[in-house]
Amino acid sequence: MKSPVLAVRDLSVFLQDGGQPRAVVDTISFELHEGEILALVGESGCGKTKTAEALMGLVPTAAGSIELCGTNLAALPEARLRRVRGRDISMVFQEPLTALDPVFRTGNQIADVFRRHRGLGRAEARRAALEMLQRVGFADAGHVLRSYPHELSGGMRQRVVIAMAMACRPRVLVADEPTTALDVTTQAQVLARLTEMAGEAGTAILLITHDLGIVAHYCDRAAVMRMGRIVEQAGVDQLFAQPQHPYTAALLGAARGNLLS
Amino acid sequence: MNAERRIWGQLRDDPAGLAGLVVVGLFLLVAMAVWLGLIGQDWSAADGARWETPGPDHWFGTNILGQDIFERAIYSVRTAFEIGLVVAVSSTLLGALLGALAGWYSHSWVDGAILWLKGVLDSIPFYLFVAAVAFALQGKGWAMHVAMIATFWTTTGRLVRAEVMKLKTREFVLAARTIGLPDALILGRHVLPNTIHILLVQASIAFVAAIKTEVILSFLGLGVQDGVSWGLMLAESTQEVLAGHFSNFLAASLMLFALLMGFNLLADALQDAFDPKQASQ
Repeated sequence: MKSPVLAVRDLSVFLQDGGQPRAVVDTISFELHEGEILALVGESGCGKTKTAEALMGLVPTAAGSIELCGTNLAALPEARLRRVRGRDISMVFQEPLTALDPVFRTGNQIADVFRRHRGLGRAEARRAALEMLQRVGFADAGHVLRSYPHELSGGMRQRVVIAMAMACRPRVLVADEPTTALDVTTQAQVLARLTEMAGEAGTAILLITHDLGIVAHYCDRAAVMRMGRIVEQAGVDQLFAQPQHPYTAALLGAARGNLLS
Repeated sequence: MNAERRIWGQLRDDPAGLAGLVVVGLFLLVAMAVWLGLIGQDWSAADGARWETPGPDHWFGTNILGQDIFERAIYSVRTAFEIGLVVAVSSTLLGALLGALAGWYSHSWVDGAILWLKGVLDSIPFYLFVAAVAFALQGKGWAMHVAMIATFWTTTGRLVRAEVMKLKTREFVLAARTIGLPDALILGRHVLPNTIHILLVQASIAFVAAIKTEVILSFLGLGVQDGVSWGLMLAESTQEVLAGHFSNFLAASLMLFALLMGFNLLADALQDAFDPKQASQ
């Protein structure tokens, strides 16, 4: 088997909780292979988002390593990390409205990525941004390029965010509940486009969600997280057929209950 | 949807704001005409008799030295705009810069140092501070500019600091970090532009405050050194009013009133039009 593009080992993140440090992510380990989609599922507050932020270096890691193609991001100084972010690893946020700067036209925000990591000039970066918008499925990409975030719908905004995140064809994309803020139809369109683009670029996705329907439909493997720990990790088919951990079984049971009611 | 058109549309429906715009526009034209040397150049020539009454030669009459009060009042518009603009722009930029640094590096030594400086400046009575600066600078004309810029930035700085602390946890700032932008660029391109509503309002407040302060300081002899301003005219008029000559007093105080009133009306209307909470409704 090929070596993984992302190998997380014994990662811990602490938060100050009234003076007492508390582990919100507690010695978790997982691997992500090229082109693979791994779901990270669990209830609210179980540490999913903190895991994502730790992978991006947005919160300090207390212990463990995050190896991206053999480089340990957790030990990298900020200046080196900046060169990796957006190029080799990028992130899609939960709220598409707040993830875009309200005072900037969307085109400029996408173009920023190209200017930063590809060293393109203003006009070239703009062309690249236009092409990126076409690839995420905008028929009138030229119009979207000149729009401000508040002029776009939720689904459109999230596609802009995806265009930004996928601009440099990263090795790993961290998607933190990318469709939670969207309605079901838009959800399906956005996820289909995201997984299609990732497939073309060979990007591995860590898809953070609490929606088991999405897990069953789009993901290869799933890791179940509870109270900062990964309690079970398995292929999606196996996980749904024979959950090993009682919490996984309870989660699946709750989802079935939802479907029945 | 177009922001400029929306702001203009809202301003057009606000008669008080529109009146303010007209008044400020007129004053601005006068200031520019004086600056270009077209009018108001004879403000220091004593070519009349003492205390002439208003007439065709001297529209507003003359002062104790026989100088034309109309010329002096007109030239003072330029003085007012000059100090208003210089102080408003400089103190707002300084406040934005220091506030942004304090907010971005909040609870670090940078924040501590800036807050300490702000605390020190805020604790000194303003006119005492100006007098000290004016004395230290040996009667230089720009002593009052320095004193005002050094003290006016603190409010802007405090507001910007709070806004930046709020903005830096927003997802688009995190997103800017996840695409690998360095701190300085994020601060300059994504954080500060989002504080523009604070900066515009603070600049307009500083503009009015600077003009008022200049008049008070000039009245006290701490302000304009070589030139004329409404404050100097009011200082002259203290002797004239007792003798029953009101031209100087009325000209200076009415023009000061008209400009400040007009500017306040305009600033209020602009504040309403720029209010992002109102815009999203």
